Amino acid sequence: MTNLFNAVAGWGVNIAIAMTALRTNLMRSILTTLGVMIGVFSVILAVAVGNGAQVSVTQQIATLGSNMAIVVPQPDSGSGPPRSTDRGRLTERDGQAILRQVSGVSAVAPQIRSSVQLVTPGRSATTQATGATPEYGVVSNITASEGRFITEGDVGAAARVVVIGQTVADKLFADANPVGETVRINRVPFKVIGLLESKGSNLGNDNDDQIVVPITTLRQRLLTTATQGPDDVTLLFVGFIDEESLLMGQQEIKRMLRDRYRVPKGRISPFTVRTTTEIAETTGQVTQIFQAVLVAIASISLLVGGIGIMNIMLVSVTERTREIGLRMALGAKRSDIRNQFLVEAAVLCVIGGAIGLTLALVAAAIFQKVADFPAPVGLDTALLSVAFSAIIGILFGGYPAIRASRLSPIEALRSE
Amino acid sequence: MTAPLLETHDLVKDYVIGGEVLHAVNSVSLTIKRGEFVAIMGASGSGKSTFMNMIGCLDVPTSGTLLLDGIDTKTLDSDALAEIRNRKIGFVFQQFNLLARTSALDNVAVPLIYAGLGYSERRARAQAKLEAMGLGNRLQNTPAKLSGGQQQRVAIARALVTNPLMLLADEPTGALDTQTSLDIMGIFQKLNDEGITLIVVTHEPDIAEYAARRIVFRDGQVIEDAAVKSRRRAVAG
Repeated sequence: MTNLFNAVAGWGVNIAIAMTALRTNLMRSILTTLGVMIGVFSVILAVAVGNGAQVSVTQQIATLGSNMAIVVPQPDSGSGPPRSTDRGRLTERDGQAILRQVSGVSAVAPQIRSSVQLVTPGRSATTQATGATPEYGVVSNITASEGRFITEGDVGAAARVVVIGQTVADKLFADANPVGETVRINRVPFKVIGLLESKGSNLGNDNDDQIVVPITTLRQRLLTTATQGPDDVTLLFVGFIDEESLLMGQQEIKRMLRDRYRVPKGRISPFTVRTTTEIAETTGQVTQIFQAVLVAIASISLLVGGIGIMNIMLVSVTERTREIGLRMALGAKRSDIRNQFLVEAAVLCVIGGAIGLTLALVAAAIFQKVADFPAPVGLDTALLSVAFSAIIGILFGGYPAIRASRLSPIEALRSE
Repeated sequence: MTAPLLETHDLVKDYVIGGEVLHAVNSVSLTIKRGEFVAIMGASGSGKSTFMNMIGCLDVPTSGTLLLDGIDTKTLDSDALAEIRNRKIGFVFQQFNLLARTSALDNVAVPLIYAGLGYSERRARAQAKLEAMGLGNRLQNTPAKLSGGQQQRVAIARALVTNPLMLLADEPTGALDTQTSLDIMGIFQKLNDEGITLIVVTHEPDIAEYAARRIVFRDGQVIEDAAVKSRRRAVAG
């Protein structure tokens, strides 16, 4: 117990010696600390932005709806760009077949996507229109916060009704309540029947910049280019009751579509079936790489800061050679001298790390406010960065400290 | 207790300079008993300082034996030598070698850090030694705010704070005026009367007359080793 106490007290002495030495060369200490400060600052910020991207992606996936498969009539190109020449057909009948034959499917939402122009007196907006059925709301978890969503009746009657997103509402109606108003979509008058519940934005992608109309109405009145068949769709959302049936169903849908379109064995299927889980994984990987690159770049500045520490510690050892000799004459062991300089380097780094951390917290908060982008700095990140800067100090202070401890007492004493 | 404090047998220290071997200390054998007051004299380059550094465990001999308090220093590693310097030897230097911007009290307490003592005990002991040196009212002064004589007394307090067996002083009066030098020698004589062994390296013959025994070096060898005939006494200041 007393040994432990003495050990702790011994380090306390070293810290006191270090503080005195650092105060003696205050300007130099501040400049050296600056290097570590900037390094820690950028590493923490990089981690925070990376974390933010991950949070965003998770939110994005959640807005898509969970336990869902997306069927697109184009070959699975992996990560490469899709080739439009390979584009196949996908119809509402395929969706009905999936609902009937694949087990565990809760709903199928066929959609046609098209870019449209909306006009109200004095205002206009361009946005993406989704021609959908009521199932779209169920599968992708979309509801109307005001008014109502489209119904079977709307689809059956090809009614000229539209549910608009918050961003579109802001552009066209400013602060007024849009429900019940009329809007011209591609010159066709539509009645606004509801306002989509806001889903915010992720990574600069505004989820509220869209409108939903009945699929039949979109096909008949808004489509500018003719489709190949009367019930062609852009894509299908297939909702499953749980994750297990989603995994099974994904393969089943692929097989079924091959059969329906008589795709010969060995030919690449002109359909892609992606699950939200897969999308989450892929984007998760992308953001992880993004974060790794950011952290790697930031680490370089921390490395440079560490080299600055090593440089200044070498200068310090040279300047204080006589003091080292004196301390050795007075009974300092090599380890005492080594620890003294190690602690000095560590103190420099920890102070720099603490200031860097504080600045990073402030910057992350500002970033979050101004750019509306989450940049969470966890307690683990904070502690880790301060510990990391201490390690940098010990690593880069190590060589100068060991050099100091290897000095011969008499030669050190004789130096000027 | 009659065992000699210091014993050297054929102690040699060689330096190789420009391919030539220089015998800085060439086969020195002598014995210093407890309680002695020895002055080591010689011109610059005579080997007296090299000899001093070896008996102070700051430098290692090229060959020969050095027995300190009965221990053969050849068998000791750098940590053990550090401990001997800490516990058994007190150093006083010509240029005082106090830590700048550090109070007298903290300067005196430095050896106690390496002795592993706690904060309050370090302060208490350092204060006691400074008070014994007549510096009780200068505890918080930094070296820059002390006269040369006061600085040397702080250095002596520092040398004594671990209660060592012997004090090694290398030209302790070299940077001081005549009166202050006398004061310091008075302090040394008083300490010697109290039982501490003193070894003072000096090139000033009149300073050597305050010692009881004079050893003269020339070309790395002892050419004279005798009691001081007309020993001077100084009144401690």
